[in-house]
Amino acid sequence: MRLIVVKRVKTSNLYYVGIPVLSILAGLALSTLIFASIGVPPDLFISEILAGFQSPQTLRYFALLVILGVALTMSFRASIWNIGAEGQMIWGMLAGGYIALFVAAQSMYVSPSDLPNYANVPGVEIIDASPVKPVISVLLMDPSLGKLLMVLFGMLAGGLWALIPAVLKAYLDIDEVASTLILNYVAYQLFNHLVSYNLRGLSVQARQFFRTDRMNSALLFNLIPGTSVTVQEVLMAVIFFVSVVLMYRYTAVGLRLKIIGSNPQLLRSVGVDERRYILLAMFLSGMLAGAAGVSILANPGIGKLEKIANVVSPPTMNLGYTAILVSWLSILDLRFVPIYAYIVASLFQGSSLLQSEINSLFPELSLTGAALTYIPIGSILVVYVILRIFTEYSVRIMR
Amino acid sequence: MSTQTFFSLNGEKSLNPIISARGLWKSFPGVVALKDVSLDVLPGEIHAILGENGAGKSTLLKILYGIYVPDKGDLFFGGRKVVVTSPQDAVRNGLVLVSQVPQLIDSLTVAENLSLSLSQFGYVSSVRKVSKFLLEKGREYGVRVDPDIEVWKLSYTQKQLVEVLRALLLNAKVIAFDEATTLLPHAEKEKLYDFMKLFKSKGGSVLLVTHKIPEAMEVSDRITVLRRGEVVGTVRTSETTLDQVRYMMFGERLTQLNSGKYEKLGEKGSEVLVVRDLWVRSDYGVYAVKGVSFSVRKGEILGIAGVAGNGQLELIQALAGLRKSERGSIRLRINGNEIDVTNKGSTAIRRLGIGYIPDEPVKKGVSLDNSIEENIAVHPRLTRFLIRWGDVKSLATDLVREFSIVTPSTNAKAKVLSGGNLMKVLVARELTVSKVALVAYNPTRGLDEVSTRYVRRLIVSKAVSEGMCVVVASEDLDEIMEISDVIAVMNSGSFVGVFKSGVSREEVERVMVS
Ligand SMILES: Nc1ncnc2c1ncn2[C@@H]1O[C@H](COP(=O)(O)OP(=O)(O)O)[C@@H](O)[C@H]1O
Ligand SMILES: [Mg+2]
Repeated sequence: MRLIVVKRVKTSNLYYVGIPVLSILAGLALSTLIFASIGVPPDLFISEILAGFQSPQTLRYFALLVILGVALTMSFRASIWNIGAEGQMIWGMLAGGYIALFVAAQSMYVSPSDLPNYANVPGVEIIDASPVKPVISVLLMDPSLGKLLMVLFGMLAGGLWALIPAVLKAYLDIDEVASTLILNYVAYQLFNHLVSYNLRGLSVQARQFFRTDRMNSALLFNLIPGTSVTVQEVLMAVIFFVSVVLMYRYTAVGLRLKIIGSNPQLLRSVGVDERRYILLAMFLSGMLAGAAGVSILANPGIGKLEKIANVVSPPTMNLGYTAILVSWLSILDLRFVPIYAYIVASLFQGSSLLQSEINSLFPELSLTGAALTYIPIGSILVVYVILRIFTEYSVRIMR
Repeated sequence: MSTQTFFSLNGEKSLNPIISARGLWKSFPGVVALKDVSLDVLPGEIHAILGENGAGKSTLLKILYGIYVPDKGDLFFGGRKVVVTSPQDAVRNGLVLVSQVPQLIDSLTVAENLSLSLSQFGYVSSVRKVSKFLLEKGREYGVRVDPDIEVWKLSYTQKQLVEVLRALLLNAKVIAFDEATTLLPHAEKEKLYDFMKLFKSKGGSVLLVTHKIPEAMEVSDRITVLRRGEVVGTVRTSETTLDQVRYMMFGERLTQLNSGKYEKLGEKGSEVLVVRDLWVRSDYGVYAVKGVSFSVRKGEILGIAGVAGNGQLELIQALAGLRKSERGSIRLRINGNEIDVTNKGSTAIRRLGIGYIPDEPVKKGVSLDNSIEENIAVHPRLTRFLIRWGDVKSLATDLVREFSIVTPSTNAKAKVLSGGNLMKVLVARELTVSKVALVAYNPTRGLDEVSTRYVRRLIVSKAVSEGMCVVVASEDLDEIMEISDVIAVMNSGSFVGVFKSGVSREEVERVMVS
């Protein structure tokens, strides 16, 4: 006996709208059940999820998920399954962090007696007022230029990191799903090493823990009042979204990126080296993920890099994986990315609210970590994948 | 329409039709694919449906087979009015379709494939039972295929035979072939024809859809001709002539077919393409091209004839920069500069103004999920960094008109085009970019007669008027004889004979097989 999966010939048009919506509803129903089974009342679940849709915090995830959703859609449309946004974001953070801590500004020890003299010097910030070895951060360039450099280097680093699996795929035919995934864990490890040694800070906290100094606050992005989203990340989301849409519509590069997804042999036969476009798709995708990494780092709520204690909760907040859901729900159509980015951001935020509610209301459940946050997102993903499999393939048994 | 001028048999009542379609209409956005089409298939006949690319033949079959639902009209199977909304319905009524593309899964064996497809049609049958049945039916009809062989090991012809066996297992009373014989080499075609005759003698009927007149004339009992979605008429094959059928098929456009002669220049220019001692390996690592040397002058057409698989494909691919040359050189002389393009890659070669028509054109030369405009704009010689869609659209519109490509619009996805029209899109694009040379493999395969003529004429006239040099390999010897200035015969990787045009066909054939 043998199980066979056959691709269906006809797929219905309805599914472009139907499947994403159905996945969200069924995924939420499923998570309600899961939560109910561990003793969380459904009305609490529902009210927290709904709160997620109105929370000002949601905007931050929304902006990040738009950037990442566009990034992943670009590679997915080229039939390159980039699961590596996490690692690319990590490299964005590292490169952005390097610029912020060592190029655009620099930390240094001063003698405790001199410290008061620095209190009001422009461009100098006291980041550790310890009575023994105080640390100040000195700006070395115009902060706007510094921020720009952070973003540019972050994008470059993310893009280069993404080129590794791209080269492996284009020239050695090594599957990118596995390589991008593995490289995420490699990136986490390298991150820990660099943060613990090369980038480690001077301040007391940095020496007590494995982390960098706090960034000079002049280099932090600017919060939009009343939210946790920054002006810069909103701008990036808008600029990236619009320019990628325009690229697809009006440039030869965009057209070819689209065509490698549908028929790479055509590119080859008209004399275009399709391998270069595999590299390009991944490079662009990695650049945007790198930019997302920089905006997480430069958020005033963060402003530093810290050793990852537990791979389940990296500084990327696993958004690199969450964004896969955004791209899939959009059926790889860029126009839908902002819509699903908003929905997924709200669910993500709602789940975090739920998590803290549960921790305070039911301490006896002793559920720690971020695990609960991912239940709704994960359930939707599972339902989505199952629905896609059953609408696009039929499974048969052979005797 | 001039239907009355032809002898019509649709009123004939001697036999009750096994399938009967009445007044079918079907439109797609931008085209009416079928206009009031009626058809009768009698028991024990081979009925050809003939029409040029885009005439609506496949649409008609797909309606009979339940893949499309007609906008209007009725279907009768065995005299009973039926509504067919799925292939399952059609199969239940005794009709099975064999398409040009075998619908088989490569990694499974023949028997597994057939067992799978039987289960799709609601017949449950184990692989072992299917094997036994296959051997029985195979013996009965002289169609031998090993049930336990994996499908990827089969040739195209064998895959088509498996499809035929599938029809037999499904108890077909009528087997419909949608251009299923078009791509077969002649000797193999005969095998299928023999099968059809045997099937007919046992009381079955065959619907043979084709755009090739000789194919229709060769085996059918009756021919129904479709033109632009309308039935022009149904004739008895024994009572008609090739010219009559041709006139039914093309109508007034027939004048475009008038003579086989092309305007040619006597004097050719200087050498443009110079190939010296070229050695190229096949996919299997052995030498497929063994030390070939030739040169082609400005405006000259070199035709490469030969039995398929003697290195023609590898040679063409090496010229297009898509296959590595192990030894030897390929040089181009453009405007007095000599450029060595050996192993310089397809990008560099195509940028110099070399057009390329690949083998398996639909697979390699167009992208079905993209629009016609996108399929044109993808070419690096036709668009710069920014695509001016206005220009692309007007180029596409010109090409659609010039090549009479039947399509709802230039914005339609390539997959809605019929095979011949897809081919035209590809040829049109490549001729547009061929400034220096055109390299082609089977450039008219799958095209109907008018389009074939048209494409050949364009190639020749472009060679003459713009001095484009052409290297064309074709499995169709007539094509080579018709358009080439120089004919090279390739056998086991070498040129075994080089002739000037005007050589007799017999002489070329003799060298081909020696
Ligand atoms: N699914 C479809 N959508 C839009 N147009 C179609 C579709 N299928 C066929 N057509 C159009 O209908 C016409 C007839 O096509 P077809 O039946 O495939 O022709 P043939 O098989 O005779 O070459 C063509 O103009 C073709 O472009
Ligand atoms: Mg057809």
